[in-house]
Amino acid sequence: MITIILAGAIATGTAILLPALGELITERAGITNLGTEGAMLGGALAGVMLGIKTGSPWLGILGAIVIGALVSALFAWSVVIRRANQLAAGLIIWFLMLGLTSVIGRSYNGQVLDPIGTLAIPLLSEIPVLGPILFDQSPLVYLGYILIGVIGWVLARTRVGLKVRATGERPLVVAAAGSQPHRIQLLATVIGGGLAGLGGAYLSVGTVGNWSTDMTNGYGFVAVAVVMFSAWRVSWVTVGSVLFGAAIVTASQLQAHGFAINQYLLDALPYVLTLVILVVISARRTSQPEALRAALAPN
Amino acid sequence: MITLENRLPAAHRFKSILPAGKFAGAIPPLVALVAALAIFVVLALVQGSTIDGLINALTKGVFGNPNYLQQVLTKAIPLVLAAVAVTIPARAGLVNVGGEGQLIMGGIVATGVGLALGSSLTGPLVWVVSAAGGALAGALWGGICAALRVWFNAPEGVTTLLMNFIALDIMLFLLYQPWKDPNGSGQPQSRPLEDSAILPMIPGTRISTALLVVIVVVFAAWWLMNKTSWGFKLTVAGGNSEVATRSGLSTVRLSLESMLLGGALAGLGGALNLLGVEGQLRPDVTATFGFVAFLAAFVCRNKVLPTAIVATVFAAILVASNPLQLRAGLDGSATYVLLGLLCLGLAVAPFTARRSS
Repeated sequence: MITIILAGAIATGTAILLPALGELITERAGITNLGTEGAMLGGALAGVMLGIKTGSPWLGILGAIVIGALVSALFAWSVVIRRANQLAAGLIIWFLMLGLTSVIGRSYNGQVLDPIGTLAIPLLSEIPVLGPILFDQSPLVYLGYILIGVIGWVLARTRVGLKVRATGERPLVVAAAGSQPHRIQLLATVIGGGLAGLGGAYLSVGTVGNWSTDMTNGYGFVAVAVVMFSAWRVSWVTVGSVLFGAAIVTASQLQAHGFAINQYLLDALPYVLTLVILVVISARRTSQPEALRAALAPN
Repeated sequence: MITLENRLPAAHRFKSILPAGKFAGAIPPLVALVAALAIFVVLALVQGSTIDGLINALTKGVFGNPNYLQQVLTKAIPLVLAAVAVTIPARAGLVNVGGEGQLIMGGIVATGVGLALGSSLTGPLVWVVSAAGGALAGALWGGICAALRVWFNAPEGVTTLLMNFIALDIMLFLLYQPWKDPNGSGQPQSRPLEDSAILPMIPGTRISTALLVVIVVVFAAWWLMNKTSWGFKLTVAGGNSEVATRSGLSTVRLSLESMLLGGALAGLGGALNLLGVEGQLRPDVTATFGFVAFLAAFVCRNKVLPTAIVATVFAAILVASNPLQLRAGLDGSATYVLLGLLCLGLAVAPFTARRSS
């Protein structure tokens, strides 16, 4: 059962990890995108629509990334160019996408496509204990592993990463150094949105193989919370996502094994956990990107 | 804080083409609203609706429908209170995105009190106790986040958001197990409240007297915010916490008070929604009202009376989902798209150049 829970934690955690990695890039550049939830919804639906129309789930995934990026481009334009309040603009984008995906997705409710499924990596998946947990997963989970490394490396070790981080801390210094902080923020938000779209498609095309209205269920908001309590580090984003996944899987496993706990109380568990960790970490916070402090103020 | 405003020509680009004059500032938002409406119509047409259908929905379903106004005012009961619930903490510099959860908790407690006392106490007493219980529940739900903010530095913009999901799960738990109506044909809903626990209608109308309570509360909130020293202190604390502290104000206390009061208003809204409108708890009694309310407060920049009015307008848009569904063949969620587009238009309209961010 432990193996099932750990493998499930990684599988479910990936639905948080992908948008959270995207949001990490965005927040490093000084933008908080609550529209992540909306970009996930857009990606989830676009993935199913394209997957069904073309017969290829992978084209669906690609479309989902594009739609997620486009949704976040709208958000980025609103807050970076038009100076709209970030928190409100994020919620507006979410609301807009909730409506749009409900309207457009209505005829796709209940339609199925072949989900991507799992792909056991030869040799690696045969490692005792760790193999089935880490290497008998969806290809998108493996993509998540790669992204953890790549994004961590780019942010910490490359010029581009330095520019992104500097934009989040001191945009005026970046401008003085000859780069355009707005352009960096736009780019970071659009890339973040692409990953959110990928996360949405992982839920729809990657696991269940269908679309249902409001299927992201607040995962995008949780991703934002995970990034906040990660202290803006890739490693803690990963840990947080897997923890959240573990909470969800443990809840459903407890129920499957006949524990008489109400499903909805268990459903609340991951949100409570996120809240508690966020509070504990916030109490000892030091390393918040400075430009972010202004982001969550009322207009 | 130094901002990038000076490096941003976009916010000022429109100034030169605007006519000078008193109402010039109203033009960009109006243009934005018309553009949002136009985009919505195009989307509706793409979704297979017709111009005739849309006009029909507007003339027959909205303006030609004698029940429409009454439906709007009924829907405005929770929406207006949840919107005002955003404005008070905002004055103190706190974001309350938890209206949804506060509405739900208010509705839960009002239902619990109503079901427990409905048959043993007489009407007015049940109303007062249920409404007060709902307000307390909302205050608690918001107050938790304010406490986490002032003592643990946890961003209330995120914690209030997460608390919405927790409240929803608590409600679903109650409705699927302990409170499930045995005569509800399997539906997840509570037993209906006793008739004596339900607020009466305003005589001669089919609008609940809860609306009168809402009107009184809105004006009380306006008075509190604009005419009392507490409201002024709140503004100072929200504007510049250092000035506030040096003037001997406790920003911690003001933050807590503002969020408790905001939460109480939303909780009261949830309770009145139950006692005056719904009569029994169902999973979709609030149906995103909390978020719509936040948007209303946002576009009014947290001014109490405009927020109440715009929240009512948003209620009118939500109610229009019925005629849009029946006469224009659009999905019921299409009104979310319209609301989203309108708010986005207002958020990005050039008059926002005045806003600090």
